[in-house]
Amino acid sequence: MDRRSLLKGAVIAALPAPALAQGASRALRVIPQANLTSLDPVWTTAVVTRNHGFMVYDQLLAQDARGEIRPQMVEGWATEPDGLTVTFTLRTGLRFHDGERVTSRDCVASIWRWARRDPFMQVLQPSIAEVEALDDRRFRFRLRKPVPLLTMALGQTQFPCFVMPERLAATDAFQQIRDAIGSGPFRFVADEWNPGQRAVWAKFDGYEARAEPVDGLAGGRTPKLDRVEWTVISDPATAASAMTTGEQDYWEYPLHDLLPLLRRNRQVVVEQRLLDGTYGVCRFNCLQPPFDNPAIRRAVAMAVDQRDYLRAVAGNEPGGWEACEGVFTCGTPLANDVGSEILKTHSIERAKAALAEAGYKGEKVVLVAPGDYPQINALSLVTADILRRLGMNLELVSTDWGTLVQRRTSKEPVERGGWSIIHTTASGQSLSLPVYHLFLRANGPQAWFGWPEDAEIERLRNAWVEATDPAEGRRVAEALNRRALEVMAYIPLGFYWQPSAWRRNVTGAFKAPATVFWNMSKA
Amino acid sequence: MFAYVVRRVLATIPVMAIVALFVFSLLYIAPGDPAAVIAGDQATPQDVERIRASLGLDRPFLVRFGEWVWNILRGDMGVSIFTNLPVTTMIQQRIEPTLSLMILTLCLAVSIAVPMGVVAAWKQGSWIDRAVMGFAVLGFSVPVFVVGYVLAYIFALELDWLPVQGYTKFEEGFFPWLENLILPAIALGGVYIALIARITRATMLEVLQQDYIRTARAKGAGQTSILFLHALKNAAVPIVTVIGIGIALLIGGAVVTESVFAIPGLGRLTVDAILRRDYPVIQGVVLLFSFVYVLVNLLIDLLYTLFDPRIRY
Repeated sequence: MDRRSLLKGAVIAALPAPALAQGASRALRVIPQANLTSLDPVWTTAVVTRNHGFMVYDQLLAQDARGEIRPQMVEGWATEPDGLTVTFTLRTGLRFHDGERVTSRDCVASIWRWARRDPFMQVLQPSIAEVEALDDRRFRFRLRKPVPLLTMALGQTQFPCFVMPERLAATDAFQQIRDAIGSGPFRFVADEWNPGQRAVWAKFDGYEARAEPVDGLAGGRTPKLDRVEWTVISDPATAASAMTTGEQDYWEYPLHDLLPLLRRNRQVVVEQRLLDGTYGVCRFNCLQPPFDNPAIRRAVAMAVDQRDYLRAVAGNEPGGWEACEGVFTCGTPLANDVGSEILKTHSIERAKAALAEAGYKGEKVVLVAPGDYPQINALSLVTADILRRLGMNLELVSTDWGTLVQRRTSKEPVERGGWSIIHTTASGQSLSLPVYHLFLRANGPQAWFGWPEDAEIERLRNAWVEATDPAEGRRVAEALNRRALEVMAYIPLGFYWQPSAWRRNVTGAFKAPATVFWNMSKA
Repeated sequence: MFAYVVRRVLATIPVMAIVALFVFSLLYIAPGDPAAVIAGDQATPQDVERIRASLGLDRPFLVRFGEWVWNILRGDMGVSIFTNLPVTTMIQQRIEPTLSLMILTLCLAVSIAVPMGVVAAWKQGSWIDRAVMGFAVLGFSVPVFVVGYVLAYIFALELDWLPVQGYTKFEEGFFPWLENLILPAIALGGVYIALIARITRATMLEVLQQDYIRTARAKGAGQTSILFLHALKNAAVPIVTVIGIGIALLIGGAVVTESVFAIPGLGRLTVDAILRRDYPVIQGVVLLFSFVYVLVNLLIDLLYTLFDPRIRY
């Protein structure tokens, strides 16, 4: 027996009975990808809060592993032949964690609160006349015109429509709710929440899972663990050590550099759980010189080789990344590379010639890189290297993410605190459809930071929303890809996979579009 | 004495007021926007503005500062922008691990460094002296996080004697508490031990040259008695001063140590708050740290009278 076991023995002997009982429960100890600072998945778009949302709340509809939308809280829905009325019926037996029954009034209030913040729903909203509760179990959408994307919006994973009690959902969408009461498979243990350190969920005994087997986020969400305990470990080396010694059971986002180390440990499984890769984005400020000139943006794109970026982030792990030379998520129905030839140039020399031809006169380029965000920082440094090799007048500003997100809001010239290039990452989910593809928007001041303006892109985007058959949608997507790469408001940088790691005694891990813990167990 | 203590305690008020103004002003002019962090990539500029307004961040500097000071005077440090929890609650959740780490480090460092310094002075020029000085140089030179990683590798990963990370509350037992804190305390204590050992040695060398030490020897006092009763007591004032100043080192080092060992203390709370621009939390924690530092200095001043009866306040 080693000293630590001896100490543990002594400690266990000294523990009171309830603590022993707690130790015997099936608690999954998780290192989350970030600190859970807010509990309201409508108020903030942080992925960690969304993951908390999946534990606590349930969804009306949900996405399966193939991306299809399936019923979750609802039994089903019926669309009138004219397409102007869609009625949803809730399953029986749905209860909130405070014991109250889930009613259609809760659903309607939750839909309205979520719709005020969800970009997808905001596209559809002009077509929605009313959402009303018909009785305790049925609610109805009355539409001004048919909205084929309605169920897709309600069942999306990107910004999920979580159902909360009406009294909470009545809170303004820009005010944070304090109580995390939902009807999901786990209930939040508020007393044990220590932001920055620990968050705990306990199995909700009153949850009635669907009978179907789990399939992505659809199907039966059966809580098999008694508790899920998140411990924030900000230092990746410490997190890896905690996984190695068995102090933690599950690490959501292990650093790519540490994956070989984890793989060498027989007690640790390293696998891809998320169905989507993470996409790199190099964004230009289209308002200020030199990148107010599309020809200069295109010249830089000619020098880009996505593989350099992806190696910088994810190393040479086999299957760790893939190039994706289009604006839509690879492997999804809209993915195409029509007009993507420019991204396949991969030539500094040709880019230099194009830059000279575009009329670059040595204007200063300010690239802002977040040093505290390893992946985005790596992307930024590769672009900085390309710009230097192109002979551009580069100023690399290394700062933290908090400063970057403020600075990117500045429309000023670089001499007055503005910026020229920033980088970010986005989930494959968020780039799969034009309705929530942020970087495709080209509506000037309303567009994402960088503020590109292009009437053709906006026209095509609206055309896709209106398209009724998949073939037409596909044609519009091809035109969008071509136009987006002509405008070149951003350069797609390919995608890398973000695997997770768990101890071998953890069972039931399945692939899904988000990190969730139902159906998982621990031996 | 009592009047002195009261005067010193009252003197902390303007100090704290200056610190408060300084911290608030710095945060006001520093770049970063919590509303943008909260809103995320999906938000429109209008969304960010609405969140900023809902948080009251669009109001003028003086209004915000006045309100904050008024709330502080009523014991209300405000509410975290992100967690919606009172700052006092967040500090309460985090104060025990930091306090534990600092107290254990302090005890460990003083109990190791002072004898080291005394022995080094006694054996000046010997291999012991050189070893102590060598250790002091090493303690100053090797960063806390490197020591932390090395200790965790040896004692947690290789030997499996101690946990890699985390914190167990004192109320759950002394040994579990110690098991979690011993490595961080050693890692954090390195530089502190080096500092105290060097000062102790230097001061002791000076004191050991004094006439009263020679007199004590002539009267037949033993070596231990000479070193620890006669010399060390007279060398105590500068040593205590350095221990006090070192509290600032500990506060700074705790930030790194808490990150390496995933200890949920005030250091990590501060770093997280700074990265997110959670202004009320940053202001609360910095104010607390400065208050603690002022109090420690007061305590050190009062301790002088114990070691040197000639000092009177």
